[in-house]
Amino acid sequence: MIVYRCEDSLESIFTAVYRSYEERRNHAETRIVLDDDPILFGEDVQIVPEMEKVMKVMNTIRRRFGEEDYMTVCEALATEDPEKGQAVYQTIVYGLAHRCLPGHLFDNLANDDVLKAFGLARTAWREIHHLMGFMRFRELENGILFASFAPKCNILTFLMPHFADRYPSEHFALYDERRGIFGIHPAREQWYLQWGDKAPKLRYSAAEKLYSELFREFCRSIAIKARFNPKLQRQMLPLRYREYMMEFDTSQSQADL
Amino acid sequence: MEYLATGGQSGLREKLNILADAAKYDVACTSSGVERKGNGHDMGNCINAGICHSFSSDGRCISLLKILMTNECIYDCKYCQNRCSNDIPRATFTPEEICSLTIEFYRRNYIEGLFLSSGIIRNPSFTMELIYRTLWMLRNTYRFRGYIHVKAIPGADPRLIEMTGFLADRMSVNLELPTAEGLQNLAPNKHRKTILTPMRQIQQGILANRQEIAVYRNAPSFVLGGQSTQMIVGATPENDFQLIHVAENLYQKFGLKRVFYSAFVNTTNDKALPALPGGPPLLREHRLYQADWLLRFYGFRAEEILDEKRPFFNVLLDPKEDWAVRHLEFFPVEINKAPMESLLRVPGIGLKSAQRIMAARRCGNLTFQDLKKIGVVLKRALYFITCCGRMMYPVKLDEDMIVRNLTEKKDRVQFGSDGMTYRQMSLFDDGQFQRPVSPAEALQTAVGQL
Repeated sequence: MIVYRCEDSLESIFTAVYRSYEERRNHAETRIVLDDDPILFGEDVQIVPEMEKVMKVMNTIRRRFGEEDYMTVCEALATEDPEKGQAVYQTIVYGLAHRCLPGHLFDNLANDDVLKAFGLARTAWREIHHLMGFMRFRELENGILFASFAPKCNILTFLMPHFADRYPSEHFALYDERRGIFGIHPAREQWYLQWGDKAPKLRYSAAEKLYSELFREFCRSIAIKARFNPKLQRQMLPLRYREYMMEFDTSQSQADL
Repeated sequence: MEYLATGGQSGLREKLNILADAAKYDVACTSSGVERKGNGHDMGNCINAGICHSFSSDGRCISLLKILMTNECIYDCKYCQNRCSNDIPRATFTPEEICSLTIEFYRRNYIEGLFLSSGIIRNPSFTMELIYRTLWMLRNTYRFRGYIHVKAIPGADPRLIEMTGFLADRMSVNLELPTAEGLQNLAPNKHRKTILTPMRQIQQGILANRQEIAVYRNAPSFVLGGQSTQMIVGATPENDFQLIHVAENLYQKFGLKRVFYSAFVNTTNDKALPALPGGPPLLREHRLYQADWLLRFYGFRAEEILDEKRPFFNVLLDPKEDWAVRHLEFFPVEINKAPMESLLRVPGIGLKSAQRIMAARRCGNLTFQDLKKIGVVLKRALYFITCCGRMMYPVKLDEDMIVRNLTEKKDRVQFGSDGMTYRQMSLFDDGQFQRPVSPAEALQTAVGQL
């Protein structure tokens, strides 16, 4: 059995996929793993990401399965599951072998690998969609909007296009606290990523306090007392997001949200 | 009546409290139906699926800045807390205040857009003009491209409604009560006809605009997200059949996008209104939404769900289960062969699962295990389906037996005195795709490190 050892990145996994085809492996006897646990009778191959191969795999997926399924594959690879490389690899192999048409890569959910990859993509998509709403920007003294968050999946690259489209004329930055990545968008320019360890010391603008308090009070006024249902609220808005949402910040005011 | 001082931050805060509080019984708070990319310099875009930005303590989503322009009103509707005979603090926003609030909230990603409604000041046309001026300012002076939902005021000048429609993404006229008699009793100033006239006007405007956009791609769009309405449930003695019948008519004849149902909350304690000691009729509202979904997505007709002989919903079974156990001649449905319409009629199979089944069965026969993975709720579906000609267990298609099993206590939707405890189905619900707990995490939990 051939074991491709990858690091936890899209580039590394795509390179491994390319090499499995390049070296004409038997796909049923080949695995892509992200950890270093030894596998019995496995022949280890260390993968070094190569941009050329990555681009070739990307283009093939795009051409054969369409833009939508390509995004689904990328979402699946944004999760933290240790099996994601194998699931995506086998899904691509399945799709190419069965000549799936664009938009139909994830049709056969009866296949375990396809189901696994699809499930992972859903996990990431769900978090992306949640954070599109639950992200809270704060205005700094110099007018820059800043938001920090700690997602389970590595989804900063999926969120940046959305917010760049929404606030084209704003300077804003997103900060993934768990991974130490900044997404930076200068007004009317292309956004980019930057790696840094710790969040800088922030000073908020004068208007920031006013508007966050106005919104907090709005949230309280809009609730109907006769329908009080904190369980439903918790189901729709899980507690882990609330740490970064100022309307749930009880340190500033004892709002019973 | 006391007027609040305008201007100043404390004034703005009190106004926002009063006018958000006054708007909260309006249930339409969705931001869906419009896909609009940003234009590269002005702020705002719209996502077709809509985005929820927060959830209030009643579990309802906060997507739009839902406020009234003013809570002063010349009407005296008995169910409404803003009725003119009610002694409450009154406030009015200026257009500038609404615009700056919307923009500042939107910048910080608190909201998806604006929901603007209003009490009636002076007369409907005057109120509509104020709303129009606000929207015009928001779109043209503040260059806002986000979502705007606005109320059309019944009785306002049709030209004002048309002009407002070109600025808004969704418009709605509240039907308030399903029958003309109910409206006459509780809202003496409103008439069925004046409510339906703007509804018809908006419908025709949308149709005409669709033709226009087909020819001229850059023509201004008119109410792109469609129109919606709202009915109050439980304030008048109408039965459920009347309600869904009215809803079906609205969908078919008025081309509405959504009909919202609002469980009646008694805020005015008027003697013409029913006392609701058990709280608002939430279960009834829930069943109405279930039936509404059956009408819109599952190909059901109102007469199939309920009829004159059985005008109320079953408390224990949801409308689809209820229909299924009364029509056992239709079942069992063969998963690997049945057309989409038949799959959609099986309890436990939703729209998404049906689509996934249709796609997956092209690649091979599906088994019950596969169905479970796809997201079918086998607990409910197993009485009504076969895979390759076999049922999951040897069960008899017997109405009493199936009802007994479907309503077993542990599976039943529980409605306690402390409000609803059912799980709301949502876009993100498909229990199959939860991340499994890793051994390391299980260990951490066991030793209390998590």
